[in-house]
Amino acid sequence: MLASFPNMGLSRVAFKTLVECMGVDVVLPDPTNREAIKIGVKYSPEFVCFPFKATLGDLKNALDKGADTLIMAIDCGPCRFGFYASVQERLLKEMGYKNFRLIPLDQADLLSFRWLRLIFKIGPSNRLTLYTKALKAVRFFLKKAKHLEDIQTAEGIFRAYERNQGDTTRVVNKLVKQLDETNTIQGLRAFRNVIKDTFNNMDIDKTRNPLRVGISGEIHISLEPYVNLDIRRKLGEMGVLINQSISLYDWIVHKFHLNYHRKWLEHLARPHLPMDIGGEAVWVIGEYIDTATAGFDGFVHQYPFTCMPEVTARTIITNHLQKIYDLPVIYFSFDEQSGSEGFRTRLEAFVDLLHARRDKKIEDQKISIDAYKKIAYDHYGNNFYNECVQFVQTK
Amino acid sequence: MKVGIPRALHYYKFFPFWKKLFDELNVEIILSSPTNKKLVEVGVMHGFGELCLPVKVYYGHALQLVEEHPDLDFLFVPRYVSELKESYWCPKWISLPDVIKILPNCPRLLNFEVNVKEFPIATAVIELGKQLGKSQSASLEAYKKAQKYYDEYLEFLRKGVSVIHALRLVLRDVSFKVPKRKSKGSIKFLLLGHAYNLFDTYVNLDFAKKLNDQDVEVITIENLPEHIFKEQVIVNKKLLNYWRHEEEIMQAIRYFLTKGRNEIDGVIFLISFACGPDSLISELIMHDMKAVGIPYLAIIIDEHSGDAGLLTRIESFTDMIKRKKQKQRAASKQKIKSTIKVS
Repeated sequence: MLASFPNMGLSRVAFKTLVECMGVDVVLPDPTNREAIKIGVKYSPEFVCFPFKATLGDLKNALDKGADTLIMAIDCGPCRFGFYASVQERLLKEMGYKNFRLIPLDQADLLSFRWLRLIFKIGPSNRLTLYTKALKAVRFFLKKAKHLEDIQTAEGIFRAYERNQGDTTRVVNKLVKQLDETNTIQGLRAFRNVIKDTFNNMDIDKTRNPLRVGISGEIHISLEPYVNLDIRRKLGEMGVLINQSISLYDWIVHKFHLNYHRKWLEHLARPHLPMDIGGEAVWVIGEYIDTATAGFDGFVHQYPFTCMPEVTARTIITNHLQKIYDLPVIYFSFDEQSGSEGFRTRLEAFVDLLHARRDKKIEDQKISIDAYKKIAYDHYGNNFYNECVQFVQTK
Repeated sequence: MKVGIPRALHYYKFFPFWKKLFDELNVEIILSSPTNKKLVEVGVMHGFGELCLPVKVYYGHALQLVEEHPDLDFLFVPRYVSELKESYWCPKWISLPDVIKILPNCPRLLNFEVNVKEFPIATAVIELGKQLGKSQSASLEAYKKAQKYYDEYLEFLRKGVSVIHALRLVLRDVSFKVPKRKSKGSIKFLLLGHAYNLFDTYVNLDFAKKLNDQDVEVITIENLPEHIFKEQVIVNKKLLNYWRHEEEIMQAIRYFLTKGRNEIDGVIFLISFACGPDSLISELIMHDMKAVGIPYLAIIIDEHSGDAGLLTRIESFTDMIKRKKQKQRAASKQKIKSTIKVS
């Protein structure tokens, strides 16, 4: 049996562990590329949202590489995500692939533990080792997902300070490769320090005062760098400090009802949108308010073209929240038309405006830039984020 | 007490229920005018590009009410989350009050949340009565009557009356009576789509009338017998089809794909641009139609609708079907003749 799953940025490392620990061979689809998206667009319904097309391309690529078991996440929320797996299965069958099975990984409520049965399904038939293997798989999966989140957080901060452009990208690639190869529990436990040390040994310029921007949006778009035109790297190389709290780990922990950060965001968003309407709408609104009160300089909202929940979130932010919180926001709706130069121009203009705005604010209020930063309330971001920020700010 | 109701979106589905409910509670209803050009323009100005047309039109209606009736006590923007367990309405319906309440000078919204997952509809009605200053028993009484009236309305629709006509009767407070002059045509189409696309004659450029002019008889989902909608459609065993309206569309289609194969000559699906649910459903339906061989036409509408282009498409579609039918008839006649000769 050869299992596979669609791409979602670096999360492939975590998913790979989950399947491999069950004693199943994994074949990874190629990193999302033009060819995969072309195929996805060709076979998908015309107006479906973009992640559908991208993942369909990935699944086809995996089947071409010889996979016979596909794992695809599903949801049963009000947005289109719940239809992905079943419609994709149908489309793939129509494309001529007959001998494969598609296992939907239901993530409606992970506390119901129905997903364990699905993990058992892909596992070996030997009942004796099944439970220990599943336990190990889940444990490794969570650990690796957490480390990936930490890498992402550190990446956003350190790229704004790097002396030689491209250093951070190299460090991240190295770390991800290393994480992929670490397959012992001791190694994973020690990995947090590895991440810290590697980033702390980077050649950084601590005298800089980068702009701070929060990023949020639909999860597949936010995590897959090919799809979002590597927005975090582009912004970082313009000298902007970025924090994106959305990650695979964040999502999984939320589904176990243990994510207090997301609960806090829901609390913030409640007066404006009282219930979860699918996608990340509620949390995007919460994140917007959170970053605004934390004294950030800007906000980026990214979503697939015509995504129903995110469009609602965008409406609420532009029509209402922006007037209250006065945090500049830029929207990117992604689809298969990717013009990277126009995109870069928009980002540059946004960053320029943010610079001008910050300078004016500091001049008007006659305060130093350090005092300006202190407007932030200090319980923003997770532990690791704060550690990194502290390291960067101590001279 | 005055309550404003925008004549868009849920109006085409639930208005009789609301009307009876508010009548019983002694509340005056003020409707916005039927959709017109100015209304759509205002709505489009307020909503940005990626929203679907029905929501933009809704903006227009709500803003017109706010502007022309400053003495409104409430604006009625219900929140329909789920009507059955394990089902949802579209996310844009669910978040509609949150989007409307931030419009400029918007009066207070009348909160009415239909969410069967959490509480029964009666609770929602009691909540509604509280905001209007009515007692619990009065609201419950009104709810019972409204539900009965709404069931009668649905029953009336199943007799084959068009929704536009039925809504007119409801507005005039006339009792339901099937009109004598029924529309007849040489061919029969099933017109699929959401109620707010099918029965808003401005948005769809009077689609039903265009078809009638081509000598086509039109039926919609609302005209179909109840038993069709009893059983769930299974697209794929792993899939729970949770969108309520889409489920109805699929059930209707299933009927015509199987038992009712010969009852209709073609299917037209009206989709508004950027409609999330329909983007997937229409694809599924198209595949099925190809397999069975019922002619199928999907028309996507947005605010830039050109009348002439639409007419051309309808004409060519109906002409094709008519010709096909003639051919079939001629062929069958020939067959009969030849069999007579042989005998």
